Amino acid sequence: MINGTERILVCCGTGCIANGALGVADAIQKELDARGLADDVKLDVSVVRTGCSGECEQGPIVRFMPRDLMYYRVKANDAAAIVDSLEGEPVQKLLFKKDGQTYEHMDDNPFYALQHKVVLKDVGVIDPLDINEYIARGGYEGLKKALTMTPDEIITEVEKSGLRGKGGAGFPTGRKWRTAAGYDVFPKYIVCNGDEGDPGAFMDGSTMEGSPHAVIEGMIIGALAIGAEEGVLYIRDEYALARDHIQRAIDAAYEAGILGDSIMGSDHKLDLSIVRGGGAFVCGESTALMASIEGRVGEPRAKYIRSVQRGLFDHPTVLNNVESLASIPTILRDGGEAYAQVGTERSKGTKVFAMVGKVKHTGLVEVPMGTTLRTLIYDIGGGIIDDRPFKAIQTGGPSGGCIPEELLDLPVDFDTLVEYGAMMGSGGMIVMDDRSCMVEVARYYVDFLCEESCGKCTPCREGLRQMRAILTDICEGRGKHGDIELLERIGRTMQDASLCALGRTAPNPVMTTIKFFRDEYEAHIERKECPAGVCAKLTQFAIDPEACTGCTMCSRACPAGAISGGRKETHVIDPHLCIACGSCREACRFNAVLTERRPA
Amino acid sequence: MNEMLTITIDGVECTCQKGEYLYDVATRNGIWIPVLCRSDAFDDHRACCRICIVEVEERGRRKVVTACVYPIEQECTVYTKSEKILEERAVIMALLAHRAPDSERMAEMNKFMGRSGFDRLISVDGEKCILCGLCVQACNSLGTGAISTVLRGTDKKVDTPYGNPSAFCVGCLSCANVCPTDAIEYTQTDTTRTIWNREFDLAFCEECGSLMGTTESVRHAAGEDSEVPSVCDACRKKKLADEMMQTYRYV
Ligand SMILES: Cc1cc2nc3c(=O)[nH]c(=O)nc-3n(C[C@H](O)[C@H](O)[C@H](O)COP(=O)(O)O)c2cc1C
Ligand code: SF4
Ligand code: SF4
Ligand code: SF4
Ligand code: SF4
Ligand code: FES
Ligand code: FES
Repeated sequence: MINGTERILVCCGTGCIANGALGVADAIQKELDARGLADDVKLDVSVVRTGCSGECEQGPIVRFMPRDLMYYRVKANDAAAIVDSLEGEPVQKLLFKKDGQTYEHMDDNPFYALQHKVVLKDVGVIDPLDINEYIARGGYEGLKKALTMTPDEIITEVEKSGLRGKGGAGFPTGRKWRTAAGYDVFPKYIVCNGDEGDPGAFMDGSTMEGSPHAVIEGMIIGALAIGAEEGVLYIRDEYALARDHIQRAIDAAYEAGILGDSIMGSDHKLDLSIVRGGGAFVCGESTALMASIEGRVGEPRAKYIRSVQRGLFDHPTVLNNVESLASIPTILRDGGEAYAQVGTERSKGTKVFAMVGKVKHTGLVEVPMGTTLRTLIYDIGGGIIDDRPFKAIQTGGPSGGCIPEELLDLPVDFDTLVEYGAMMGSGGMIVMDDRSCMVEVARYYVDFLCEESCGKCTPCREGLRQMRAILTDICEGRGKHGDIELLERIGRTMQDASLCALGRTAPNPVMTTIKFFRDEYEAHIERKECPAGVCAKLTQFAIDPEACTGCTMCSRACPAGAISGGRKETHVIDPHLCIACGSCREACRFNAVLTERRPA
Repeated sequence: MNEMLTITIDGVECTCQKGEYLYDVATRNGIWIPVLCRSDAFDDHRACCRICIVEVEERGRRKVVTACVYPIEQECTVYTKSEKILEERAVIMALLAHRAPDSERMAEMNKFMGRSGFDRLISVDGEKCILCGLCVQACNSLGTGAISTVLRGTDKKVDTPYGNPSAFCVGCLSCANVCPTDAIEYTQTDTTRTIWNREFDLAFCEECGSLMGTTESVRHAAGEDSEVPSVCDACRKKKLADEMMQTYRYV
C-alpha cells in the first residue's frame, strides 16, 4: 500500500544521463500520470531527478524513499514494473546481486555499506535544483549558525575540524582562512576551484551537479570568516551541467535572500559569479587559475608571496576546492569536533574518490580518511573485473603515482602515500590489472602533461619533452642502457626546480613506476619485451587452440579483420594483418588470446 | 627605512634589506649566479628559465628556490654551488641546449656546466629560442605588445597573434636586441626592414642621413601627440645648439 509520501529518486548524474536516465525519469513520470498517481492529493508520489548516486557503472539507478528500494541498470521500459512495485514485491531483476545474494536496500549493498557520507550526503538524494529540498535536510543551518558567530569563532570551528584542503595539497583550511582574515586589505575574495582536470576524476563535478547549495553555503561561510564580499566559482570548461546547476542554485540563493546585499537579513553581503575554466589542466593550479580569472593567460607565477596575501587582482584571496567547501556546512552545523571524529590522526573527516578502471564496481565513493586501498578496491569496488590479478592503482592523476599490491594495506590519507613517492591527490583512482604496462602508463601521463602544462618554465616543458621521447623509445623497443637513470635525473630536477606544482609533481608517475616496477622497464630495455603484452611494437598475439571455444567475440572485436574462423571453430590470427591492438584479448572470455614477445 | 638582515651566501656574510631579491644581494657581493630570463631593464621577472636555482636553508629546512625572484624575508644560509644545485643546474642547462641546438651560447654554457650523460636527449630541430620571454617583456614595456607566448606545453612559442603580421609591431628591433640567443630573425635592405613577417620602410635623418629606425618606430617613439621628427637625436641637438649660437650672436 502506498502510504503517503513516496519519492522516486532517478539518478540524473552525468554517468546515468549517458545511459539514458532522463528517458527513465520521463517514462516513470508518464506511468504515474497514466495511473493518476501523480495527481492523487491523498498521496504524495513524485519523481525526483537527483545527482550522482555513486555506483555509476550499475546505472541508471532508481531508488524509492522512504522505503529505500534501490534498482540498478534501469531502462525506460521498466517503468511500469517499477511503478507496480511501489506497493508489493520489488522487481527482482533490477536489484543488485553479488555472489548469489540480492540486495534490496542501498546500505546493504557492500558498495555503499562501508561509505561515510558528509560531502555527498545529499548528492543522489535531493533534487539539486530545489533549494527547499536542500534546506529540508539541514541545508543553510551551518550558515545560520555562522551568522551568530565572529569570524574568529568560525575559523576556530574549522580549525577544530582538522579539515585539510581536498584539492590535493592538504593545506589546513582553517589556517588558510586565519591568514587571509589577518590582512586588512579590501576587497578580499573567496574562490572555489572547480576545475577538476585530472583524467578520470569526477568528484567535484558530481558534487557541484548533485548538491550545488552545499558548495555555495561553504563559500558564504568562508566569506564571512575572512571578510570577503565577492566570490568566484571557477568551473571546468567541459562541465556544462555543473555550471548550469551552480548558476541556478546561485539564482535561487539570491531569490531566497541568502546571497546579495543582506545575507539572511544580516548586514553581511556576498556576490557570487561563475567563471568558465581556461580548458587546460594547468588552469587548476592556484596562480594560473587567478591569472585566468583576471583575463590573462593561464600561467602560474612564482609563489613566494602567497595568494592569501596577494591573490586575485593582488588582493587577499582564499582559494578552496569544491569538496573542501562542501564540507564546511556540516562542520559549522554539527561542530568541528564531530567532523574530526572520523579519519586519522593527521587527516580528519572523509574523502571522496572517483574509482575507475579494471574494478568491478566503478563510481563515486566517500570514505573516512585512512581507509585502505584494499578496502576501496576489494570491499567497495568488488575486486578486479574477471577476478584477474591486481597490478597497480594510480592515484592523484598526472601528479600522482602508481601503487603496487604490497602497499594496498596502507591507509589513504594526505601523508602516508607521500612517504612512498605517491600521493592521494584530489581523489581520482584508476585500478589496473596485470594487462596494464607500467611504462606505457607513465608515458600516457607524460604525454598528457606535454599538452596540458603551460610550457612556461624549462624543467617542466623540456623535461616532459625528453621524458616523452625516452619513454616512447622504451615502449617501442629503442630503449637504451642508462635510460632509467636519465629519467630519474630529469625527474629529480623537475621535482626541485619547476616553477609550479604541476612540474614539481609531473615526474611522479614515472618515478613511482620505476620504483615499484623497475623490472618491467628493464624487460623493455634489455630484452625488448613488454611483459604485460601491451606495447604493440614488442608484442605479438596468438590464439590458443585448446582454449578457444569459437565464440567469435575476438573476431568481432578486431578492427583489422585479422582473425578468421567460423562459429564453434578454432580462431586464428593472421600475423600480417594484426596491428597488435589487444582488442581480442580484452574481448575473449576464455583467456584464449595469448601474447608473447615479438621477435625483432 | 626597511628592516636590515644579515644572510650568508656560500660562506660570505651579506647585509640586505628585508624583501630584497636574493640574486640582487648575491651580485652586489660579488657572488655569481647564472641568469637567463632576468634583465635589469624590467622590474618583474618571469622566473621561467630556472637556471638561477640555489639552495636556501631557513630554520633548519633546506629548499631549492630561484634567486632572481626569491625575496629575503628572514635570516638564512644560501648555497649556490652545492652538489644538488650543480647537478640540477646542469640538467636544466642540458635541457636548454637541446631545446635550442642552434644557439651557440647555449652550447657553450652547457659545456661550461661540465657534466655528462646527456647524449641521449633529443634536439628540437633548428630551434634557437629558449622561451625566456624577454622579447615579450621588451615589447610590452614599449607599449606595443605585438608579440606574446602562444600555445602551451611543449608547443609553446613566441609569436604574433595567429602568426599574422602584427598591426602593433613598429619594427623597432627591441625584441631581437634583448634576445639572449639571437633567435629573432630580421632582414634589412637599403630601404626596408622585415621582422615578424612584416615589412617596414626605414627612416633616415634628413640632416646626416643616418638610420633612425623604421618610420613606424620613429613615430611610436615620438608619442601620439608629438610631431614626428625628421632628424636624428644627434642632429636635433646640434641644430638646437646652432640656433642658440645664432640667437646669442645677435644679442
Ligand atoms: C597542476 C595543478 C592542477 C590543479 N588542479 C586542481 C583542481 O582541478 N581542483 C582543485 O581544487 N585544486 C587543484 N589544484 C590544487 C590548487 O592549486 C589548490 O591547491 C587548491 O585548489 C586549494 O584548495 P584546497 O586547499 O581546498 O584543496 C591543482 C594544482 C596543480 C598544481
Ligand atoms: S611547472 Fe609546468 S605548468 Fe608549472 S609553470 Fe612550469 S611549465 Fe608551467
Ligand atoms: S590484437 Fe587487435 S588487430 Fe591483432 S588480432 Fe587482436 S584485435 Fe585484431
Ligand atoms: S620589433 Fe615589433 S615585436 Fe619586436 S619589440 Fe619592436 S614592436 Fe615589439
Ligand atoms: S626569442 Fe629570444 S628573447 Fe624571445 S623568448 Fe626566445 S630566447 Fe627569449
Ligand atoms: S551518475 Fe548515476 S550513479 Fe553516478
Ligand atoms: S633567471 Fe631566475 S628563473 Fe630565469
